[in-house]
Amino acid sequence: MDITSTTTQGATSAATKRSLRSARKGGRAQLSGLSRQRIRTAWLFLLPMIAGLGFVAGWPLLRTIYLGFTDATLSSIDSYAFVGFENYLVYDNGEWYGLLADGLWWQAVWNTLYLTVLSVSIETVLGVLIALILHAKFPGRGLVRAAILIPWAIPTVVSAKMWGWMLHDQFGIINDLFLKLHLISEPIAWTVNPDTVLGTIIAVDVWKTTPFMALLTLAALQMLPKDCYEAARVDGIHPVKVFFKVTLPLIKPALVVAVVFRMLDALRIFDLVYILTSNSEDTIVMSVYARQALIDFQQIGYGSAASTLLFLLVFGLTLAYIFATRLKLDGSGDH
Amino acid sequence: MLTLKQSRRLQTVLIATLAWLVALAIFFPIFWMILTSFKTEIDAFATPPQLFFTPTLENYVHIDERSDYFHFAWNSVVISFGSTLAGMLLAVPAAYSMAFFETKRTKSTLLWMLSTKMLPPVGVLVPIYLLFKDAGLLDTKTGLVIIYTLINLPIMVWMVYTYFKEIPKDILEAARLDGATPAQEIYRVLLPIGKGGLASTVLLSLILCWNEAFWSLNLTASSAAPLTAMVASYSSPEGLFWAKLSAVSTLACAPILIFGWLSQKQLVRGLSFGAVK
Repeated sequence: MDITSTTTQGATSAATKRSLRSARKGGRAQLSGLSRQRIRTAWLFLLPMIAGLGFVAGWPLLRTIYLGFTDATLSSIDSYAFVGFENYLVYDNGEWYGLLADGLWWQAVWNTLYLTVLSVSIETVLGVLIALILHAKFPGRGLVRAAILIPWAIPTVVSAKMWGWMLHDQFGIINDLFLKLHLISEPIAWTVNPDTVLGTIIAVDVWKTTPFMALLTLAALQMLPKDCYEAARVDGIHPVKVFFKVTLPLIKPALVVAVVFRMLDALRIFDLVYILTSNSEDTIVMSVYARQALIDFQQIGYGSAASTLLFLLVFGLTLAYIFATRLKLDGSGDH
Repeated sequence: MLTLKQSRRLQTVLIATLAWLVALAIFFPIFWMILTSFKTEIDAFATPPQLFFTPTLENYVHIDERSDYFHFAWNSVVISFGSTLAGMLLAVPAAYSMAFFETKRTKSTLLWMLSTKMLPPVGVLVPIYLLFKDAGLLDTKTGLVIIYTLINLPIMVWMVYTYFKEIPKDILEAARLDGATPAQEIYRVLLPIGKGGLASTVLLSLILCWNEAFWSLNLTASSAAPLTAMVASYSSPEGLFWAKLSAVSTLACAPILIFGWLSQKQLVRGLSFGAVK
C-alpha cells in the first residue's frame, strides 16, 4: 500500500513538472510532447515480447530452413554438405526422389488437413454450445464447469494413454459399453482398423480440446454487455435469433483467435497420434513424418526439409484464414 | 405470472439436466482412470471391465517406493507458476501497447507472433537442444521456464490484446487526464477492469505449462523433470501395467485438478465482475 502510494505521488509530481515545463512552451506542444512520450513508452512495453519471441521464432526457424538444404545426419551434425533442393525433389536415373515425390508425405499432408478441418469445426460448434449452457444459471454450475474443463487440464501423454486403454479391443470399456448398447455387434480394434482410426483420433481430440474452446467462449460471453439482452428480452425476440444476431457477432473476435490457435495446434498434432497409433501409415501426420525422419532415421537434413514444408503450409493456411476473417476481426474492434 | 415462473423453472431444470449429462459424458474417462488406479493389475484386465471390485492402494504404494512424487510435483509447480508470471509480465505491457497505441505494424506483429507456433516442435528440437547445452540450461527449471514462457507468449498476448480491445478507450483517457503514467494505467485501470479475462489467461497458461510434455521430456533428465516426465517414465517400458499407469496419471493430474477446482470459483467471480459495458 505504502509503496504504491509513493510511486503514485512520485509519478504525479514528475508528470506535473513535465507539464509545467511544457506549459511554458504553449498548450499544443504540451499535448504532443506528452503523447510522444507515451508512444515511446508503449514501444518500450512491446520490445521485451518481440525480443523474446525473436529468439524462439527467428533463430531456430532460420536454422531449420538452412538444415533442410543440407545432408546433415544426427551422427554428423557438424560436418555436412550443401545439397540444394535434393531433400525436396531430385531427378535421378529416371526416377523422382525427395519429399515432394514421397507418397507417404502426401498421405501425411492429407491426413493432417482432414483431421484439422473436422476436429476444429466440431470443437468450435461444441465449445460454443457448452459455453452457452455453462453461461446460464443452474444448480451446481461451478462443479459442472470444473468437470467440463478437466479433459483439457490433463496432459496429453496421460489422456492419450487412457483412451488407448479404454479403446482396447479386448479389455476396453468402450467396446464393452457399445456391445451392451447394441451399437456394434462385435469388438472393434478402434486404433488399428483403418476405417475407424482417423475418426477415433478426431473423437479423442475433440474430447480433449472442446474445453479450451468452451473456456475462451465463456470468458468472451461474460465480457458481453447485459443491456443488449435485456432489450432483446423485452422485445420478445427468439433466443436463437438473439444468438445469431447479437451474441455471435459480439463473441466473434474471441472465437476467431481461439480457432487460429486451435488450428495451429491441430496442424502440428503429434502426441495424440503418436501415442495412439505410433508410426502407422494409416494415420501418419506431418509432425509424425518429420519426427520419424529426424529421430528414427536420424536424417536431420531431410527431416528439416519436412519441417520447413510443414511450416510453409501452416503459414499459408493461417494467412488465408486471417485474410478471410480479417473483415470481421477489424469490424468488431469498434463496438 | 405463475406460468411464466413455471416455464422459467422448467427451462432451468432442462439446462441443468443437459449440463450434467454433458459433464458426466466428458468426465467419464477420468473417472475410469481413477477407478482403474485402485484396481489390482488382474482386476484391470478383467473381461468384461468391472465397475465393482475390491479397491487396493498397492499401485500407489508401488509408485511411492519407486519414485519421489513430491520432487516432480514441486518442479511442475515452480515451472508452471514461474513461466506464467514471466509470461504475464511480458504479455500485459505488450498487449496494452498494441491495443491502445495501434500502428500500421500492429496487425503484422500479431501475425508474426503466431509464426512461432507454426513449426513442429520436433523440427526445432536439435537447434534448441544445442543452444540449451551451450548455455548450461539443460535439466534446469530456469531452462523450462524460459522455453514455456516463450511458447505460451503468443496466445497470452493475443488473449490479453482481445480483452483490452473490448475496453472503451474513454476510461483510459480519463485516467490520462488525471496524470496517470502508462504503468499506472495498466496497474490501476486495466487490471481491475480486465481481471476476468486476465484470470482466464493465467489459468490457460498454468494448464498449458502443466501439460507440456515434449520439451520437458527432451530437455530434462531428473533434477528439473516435472510430472509429465514422471508419467512417461512409467509408460514406456511397462505399457501393460495399466493400473500402475492409471495411478501415476491420477497423481500427475491431481494438483492441477484441485487447483482448477479452487480457482474455478475465483475465476467465475472474476469473470462475472469483469463485464465493463
